[in-house]
Amino acid sequence: MIKNVTIGQYFPGDSFVHRLDPRTKLLATIALIAVVFVSTGFAGFAMIAAFVLLTALSTGVHLKFLFKGLKPIMFIIIFTFILNLLFQQTGGVLLQFWIIKITTGGLKMASFMAARLILLVVASQLLTLTTSPISLTDGLESLMRPASKIGFPAHEIAMMMSIALRFIPTLMDEADKIMKAQKARGANFETGNIIQRARAMIPLLVPLFVGAFRRADELALAMDARCYRGGAGRTRMNQLKYGARDLIAALAVAALFALVILANRFCPF
Amino acid sequence: MPIEIKHLTHVYMPGSPFEARALNDICLDIRDGEFIGIIGHTGSGKSTLISYFNGLERAKPGTVFVGGVDLGSKDTDLIAVRRTVGLVFQYPEYQLFEETVEKDIAFGPTNLGLPPEEIERRVVHAMQLVGLDPSRAKKSPFDLSGGQKRRVAIAGVLAMDPQILVLDEPAAGLDPAGRHEMLELIRDIHESGVTIVMVSHSMDDVGKYCDRLFVLSHGEVAYQGAPAEVFVHGEALNAIGLDVPECAKLAKRLRDAGFDIPMDAYRLEDVAGYIIDNIGKGRRGA
Repeated sequence: MIKNVTIGQYFPGDSFVHRLDPRTKLLATIALIAVVFVSTGFAGFAMIAAFVLLTALSTGVHLKFLFKGLKPIMFIIIFTFILNLLFQQTGGVLLQFWIIKITTGGLKMASFMAARLILLVVASQLLTLTTSPISLTDGLESLMRPASKIGFPAHEIAMMMSIALRFIPTLMDEADKIMKAQKARGANFETGNIIQRARAMIPLLVPLFVGAFRRADELALAMDARCYRGGAGRTRMNQLKYGARDLIAALAVAALFALVILANRFCPF
Repeated sequence: MPIEIKHLTHVYMPGSPFEARALNDICLDIRDGEFIGIIGHTGSGKSTLISYFNGLERAKPGTVFVGGVDLGSKDTDLIAVRRTVGLVFQYPEYQLFEETVEKDIAFGPTNLGLPPEEIERRVVHAMQLVGLDPSRAKKSPFDLSGGQKRRVAIAGVLAMDPQILVLDEPAAGLDPAGRHEMLELIRDIHESGVTIVMVSHSMDDVGKYCDRLFVLSHGEVAYQGAPAEVFVHGEALNAIGLDVPECAKLAKRLRDAGFDIPMDAYRLEDVAGYIIDNIGKGRRGA
């Protein structure tokens, strides 16, 4: 019923990318996103796409999962594509009928925007597919730590994030169970108009929220019982350490950056 | 309304690295009026299996027939099936959502589109069946104790007036007294003419109440038959993480020591009765 959600789904593995420090992966992902915006032509996109695909292949993650994340935003991609196609009126006319005029400039702009969106999503998917939620939040906390000097609650935010991530599958499981239980009592979640469907969600949402609050309460108690008192003075079992492979990864991303800038300069596409 | 399952296989998350076979080539049949026990250790596929009983899952390899109706067929009226087969999941108290006990129990019959008087009648009857005091009808189900909440949830399923009631670990998490009450309650429901399928991992419970058992291990039916036939496989059951009831163990030790205790003595009363009758009579051939 509620399955196949890939955003934020970790794919266990032992590849070069999997073993990178989560901070490296976070920063590299930010750099990849930046480079997608820096690129002004298709040559740059081709390089980024090649880089992302090669990295993905090296991780052993099935490519199917890489592109599954595109599904929820497919609508936005298509919408942007059509909008650009219709309203960008530069270059030679390709096709004209009635009030619709499609130009080479429009086609180019539309494909450019669509490619940019696809690359953005696929590149960030790479991060969540190869990094476990725990090490992801560890990395985030460590990156945010300098800001805690000015009172930014880095540890607390990271802890909240890891708890939230930890409970997504649990709550989905629970939603699935409650849905089954209510269906067994003749509930109907699939048909009816929008108001009927919204009403049909009540038997699902009430127990789900009650359960979430109960779990939150229990978890808070369990954390208290183990003397949790926030980030101050807390040490960690797994210290994050940069290694040689992180340097290699950084160099690879830097090289991609340089290549894309060169492509912007010298390649007309 | 018999249930007939043939060659049922369930694959969890097919095509992903998390792919797992939860059920493998299950064949079983449940006849009218029986009290069936489905037993297995955690992860043996018990809970997955029962969601096939009323069409919450559609059998892909394999078939599920309830009263001659194929649940795998697209034309089957699943609401009618869910009316016949009531399913009480594990910890059913977590599915309560209404403002009052009464309204929550009425949820099922209302979904069936019954007239208000009939709904009213069924709510009263279901509360009576599970031993809930009528004074609680207007209370919020969230104010009740755990055991009472579970009764409300079971009443909610009984109000659908099912001919077959399937319960997943109905006694889980209850204290010994609550456990005993719950099992006696299920026995009463059985005696009122409802076929019962009880999922459990307690051999003592299924041994005491059930007519026939199916032992699941790694998604397959490892043993089936009357409790006495199943309990004979004592050591093999241990190997798949299950235990035989204490009385069956005692009976086996007596048998091994040369006493002529019958094979079908595994309930407390039978074993105790045999011992009392034969005290001082001595062993076989002695």
